[in-house]
Amino acid sequence: MPPRMDVSTAGPLGAELAALAEALQRVTVRVQVGGAGEGSGIVWRPDGLIVTNAHVARGAAARVSLPGGDRVEGRVVARDPSADLAALLIPVGGLIPATPGDTSTLRPGEIVVALGHPLGVANALSLGVVHEVERGREGVPRWIAADLRLAPGNSGGPLAGVDGRVLGLNTMVYGGLGYALSVSAIARFLRRAGLGPPGERAA
Amino acid sequence: MSVLAGLSHDLSSTVELVGRSVVAINARRRIPSSGVVWRPGVVVAASHTIARDEDINVTLASGRTAAATLAGRDPATDLAVLRLEDAAVPPVERGEEADLQVGRMVLALGRPGPQLTASLGIISAIGGEWRTWQGGRVERFVRLDLSIYDGFSGGPLVEAGGRVLGLNTSGLARAMALALPASTVDRVSDQLLASGRVSRGYLGVAVQPVQLPESLRRKLGLAGRIGLVVVNLEAGGPAEQAGLLLGDIMTALDGSEVGDPADLLASLGGERVGKPIELQLVRAGELRTVAVTVGERPARKGR
Repeated sequence: MPPRMDVSTAGPLGAELAALAEALQRVTVRVQVGGAGEGSGIVWRPDGLIVTNAHVARGAAARVSLPGGDRVEGRVVARDPSADLAALLIPVGGLIPATPGDTSTLRPGEIVVALGHPLGVANALSLGVVHEVERGREGVPRWIAADLRLAPGNSGGPLAGVDGRVLGLNTMVYGGLGYALSVSAIARFLRRAGLGPPGERAA
Repeated sequence: MSVLAGLSHDLSSTVELVGRSVVAINARRRIPSSGVVWRPGVVVAASHTIARDEDINVTLASGRTAAATLAGRDPATDLAVLRLEDAAVPPVERGEEADLQVGRMVLALGRPGPQLTASLGIISAIGGEWRTWQGGRVERFVRLDLSIYDGFSGGPLVEAGGRVLGLNTSGLARAMALALPASTVDRVSDQLLASGRVSRGYLGVAVQPVQLPESLRRKLGLAGRIGLVVVNLEAGGPAEQAGLLLGDIMTALDGSEVGDPADLLASLGGERVGKPIELQLVRAGELRTVAVTVGERPARKGR
């Protein structure tokens, strides 16, 4: 039976969503390249490795706004336009990295949230459900299509499950759906770029 | 487990459970459309997505493909019914009329291909009986605050617990997600299974509301302020045969007032076909009564 959405559960639900938004804010950065718009990024490693979309990190460097508000210069250390992924390195250590989730058991209907900076609005949370998981060869999830609202500026930000674990990187809107590259696709990109700890996060 | 995690688990379990009864229908050039196993061996779908009457097959949740035959369609309510040769697919569990409530959390499911897909939202408005632009009767007006994606028409509207409340379609209103309530799906599919079509009464007139002058109302003792003026008569149609003339103003049907063209449509259900209906008319300033034998609306081309 589904939980009855009465007043007694509305409180905890709202509090959980707020906590979820807060947890994701800690691992989400803002990425700006010149005056050419902006996007979001995910803190991937404590030593300053950020992942975002290649269409967000267009040049060799980008300005990165940290969750605390500090702004630093990031260097683009890997970029694959065909995969639409890029990695940035910022000279800041001790960051809280995102925790990758398990996409292999993801089902349509599961609640997901996206955090980002759509249309310049800082730290906006969108809520929806998994619409479809598109798998590549060997059944590895490649794209997660989600029934939620995204806008320019969400690109590069996290799509996460209700436990706050990151399932993918929001990349595009197509047919009204949000499409996120799965964490497996991110791990593969980093591995190829020589940035992934071998054996780890290889879903 | 947290409330959010519990809800997420319930929603995805509901999708998986109900998804067993959602099929992809291959009956058009573009992407497949969705259909619901409504009863054992019976699939309901959105008529506008079924582009051909023959050579239809469906893809089941198991991935298997099965042949289906069109039992009938009713473009006026955008419903089509197919008979599925494979009766082993479980039908959906139906909700109650009382489940149709504003604010109720609902899922729309679709299978526009082998994969099951879902969207989440709420019922945003509920109303009483209404007529579609093609004159089809729908028992309840159900408006949704959720996205009906490409290929979703014909998919089920499901409450969070897994009970099916209706059928989603984009074919009845532009830019608005509407659902046909289960009661309409039941009634129309019964008729389609029994006779292959939904019969509708018809008079062969076009009418327009007009205000009745106060002096005329007083002279004739009419209570209503509005009448329906006949602006077109179909040649050889039931109304013409009964002697109606252009310019006649209808004021009552079977003794009850009419003030809106919808009143006329509402009194012309399929059960009236072949039976007389009594029209009260104002002609040349005088009241008269004409009996018209209700005809059956000819099948219109289209889907």
